[in-house]
Amino acid sequence: MQAVHGRALLVDLGTGEARTVPIPQEVFRSVLGGTGLATWLLFRFAPPQVDPWAPENPFVIATGPFIGTGLTTSSKLAIATTSPQTGFIGDSLTSSYLALVLRRTGFDALVVVGQAPDWSVLFVEDDRVYLRPAHDLLGLDPEETAAALRAELGRDVRVAAIGRAGERLVRFAAVVNDGRLAGRTGPGTVLGAKRLKAIAVRGTGRFPPVADPAAVAAAARRLAQRSLGPETAKYRELGTVANLAFFSRLGILPTRNFAAGTFPAAEALSGERLVTVHRADRQACAACTVGCEHHFRTTDDGPPATVRLEYETLFALGSLCGIDDPNVVLRAAALCDRYGMDAISAGGTIAWAMECVERGVTLPGDPAEWPRFGDGASLLRTLEAIGERRGPLGDLLAEGSRRAAELIGQGSDAWAMHVKGLELPGYHPKKLRAMALGFAVTPRGACHNRTSAYEIDFSEQAGDHHERIALATAHSEDRSAVLDALPLCKFLRHRFDDFLAEAAELVRLVTGIACDADELRRVGERIVTLKKLFNLRQGWTRSDDSLPVRLLGPDGIEPAELDALVAAYYRVRGWTPEGLVPPARLRELGLDSLVAHAATGC
Amino acid sequence: MVREAMTLRVELYGLPAVLTGQRRVEVTAATLQELVHVLAAQFPSLCGTVIDLDRGWLNRGYIFVVDGRFTREPATPLRPGAEVLLVAAQAGG
Repeated sequence: MQAVHGRALLVDLGTGEARTVPIPQEVFRSVLGGTGLATWLLFRFAPPQVDPWAPENPFVIATGPFIGTGLTTSSKLAIATTSPQTGFIGDSLTSSYLALVLRRTGFDALVVVGQAPDWSVLFVEDDRVYLRPAHDLLGLDPEETAAALRAELGRDVRVAAIGRAGERLVRFAAVVNDGRLAGRTGPGTVLGAKRLKAIAVRGTGRFPPVADPAAVAAAARRLAQRSLGPETAKYRELGTVANLAFFSRLGILPTRNFAAGTFPAAEALSGERLVTVHRADRQACAACTVGCEHHFRTTDDGPPATVRLEYETLFALGSLCGIDDPNVVLRAAALCDRYGMDAISAGGTIAWAMECVERGVTLPGDPAEWPRFGDGASLLRTLEAIGERRGPLGDLLAEGSRRAAELIGQGSDAWAMHVKGLELPGYHPKKLRAMALGFAVTPRGACHNRTSAYEIDFSEQAGDHHERIALATAHSEDRSAVLDALPLCKFLRHRFDDFLAEAAELVRLVTGIACDADELRRVGERIVTLKKLFNLRQGWTRSDDSLPVRLLGPDGIEPAELDALVAAYYRVRGWTPEGLVPPARLRELGLDSLVAHAATGC
Repeated sequence: MVREAMTLRVELYGLPAVLTGQRRVEVTAATLQELVHVLAAQFPSLCGTVIDLDRGWLNRGYIFVVDGRFTREPATPLRPGAEVLLVAAQAGG
């Protein structure tokens, strides 16, 4: 198979040793790269039931076959590790120049195990590895860290770094590179546990050759042209912040910790108003022609902030916390970036605390410092306390909503809005059946990106038939896995007339392997199943595929209906009624030998 | 059967709202197909990005919500007092 190096770089921070690990061709054929490769490497190098904090927990960065080919939006890194939030697979995707330079080191992936004796920077320069002491970088935010390292090591070096939240082991700390965050599931926390402040990479080699260079170049030109069409104008002109007012109108905008689906002040926070009043500029990720990254600036007399804003950040730090002032939300988003924290989990955890205060549940620390719905100053103060793990309140909330509720009790788990420990993104499932199912079953916890199941609810295919919803959700999850394995941006998915068939043709041109739509769908299913196998090894049980208590009933979905949807999902996946993957299904997907490869370490 | 056109209040979200500068518009139409024609005539800024003039219909990525139901069916009849939303079917973020 072309377009891969066929090897990963394994670094043990504890011993300082690095070695090359061959990756069997069968692995690439089965899961391609990106999230698929990262998942397989995690499965292979993680001991069973690994503790997320343990040195043995691998931290994996993987590239994909499309990176460096000129195919637009393909410059993405996949990260996989065991999540400190969920204890299950934690995977995140981030767009960056780091993907390009890592690919030029001659490796398809980087696997980091062990714990450094002291705070360090891992510097990978082609096939050489150095550990640089990092004490001078502690306390710097991720951008400052990257700037310092690039000034020292050279402008051709690209950096992924953690902020203070990662240093202080906030459970939802992000890995930040080129201003983009791999935030969900806490990968930055794992780097912090390994005492790794940053990973710096210089790659000077060539990209691995593609199978048909002329055809790939022509396909890249066509895809770039298609990416500029009217169907992506919504991303270029407005971005995902456009969701907020529409979602509120539909009654699916999570408001005040999911107590409501409509935010009375939605117009004040609307994307339409933000682009009119607050827009600063627009940028694009590395090797992207869509350019959806919108930056917004504050306009009041307070401390100025200019920050990238997406819908998820806007809802989590806005309506979810009852905040109606866009200037506060922008400052809050800037704080999350500076500390290196996932905004969804940060907002979700603070909204839980706000509801505790509203219900008279005692939190630790000075009551004057407690966060309150609609109080912008308290939101900003609490974000800083979490990022620093300052005081008993900051320390509690840095654990995330699930553990915070377990620690203070008083029935507060009833309004801890998470699945598997991961706080819910900005879709109130009350009217979204496919999304409710997706939240419940997706391996990494409550996630909108791994299923994109909202598309089923937002379409004419939505209906009440459980089997149809389950099948559509599984297919959507498989398609998302394929996009993350190639990789290509999800914002391109509607630019294809027949995504699987056309993407399969691109795979054939890039890698030279025979591939069609059916095989590509199986690739997606293999990846989803591999994630499930990892979770099973971590101790997953049927009760983990559920929703928060608040959403089980008239304010969400009746428990019997969710059970029926989950059961239907297991059926269409070919799993047992208990959600286990039978050996026959593994064989059908060709995963038996892949898992054997991982077990035998070849 | 000829449907009688009626005045409707249509809500615009996302790019359609930005391009027209309007959240709500009043138009007269009996079906979604008619509604698209009327919107194209009344708001030329929608043409190209949201509405494909050659096909006389929405570009892919845009969808109506009629009384809570997502649809791109041009023949969808519009009853008096119907709640009609025109949205960019985007999500994510």
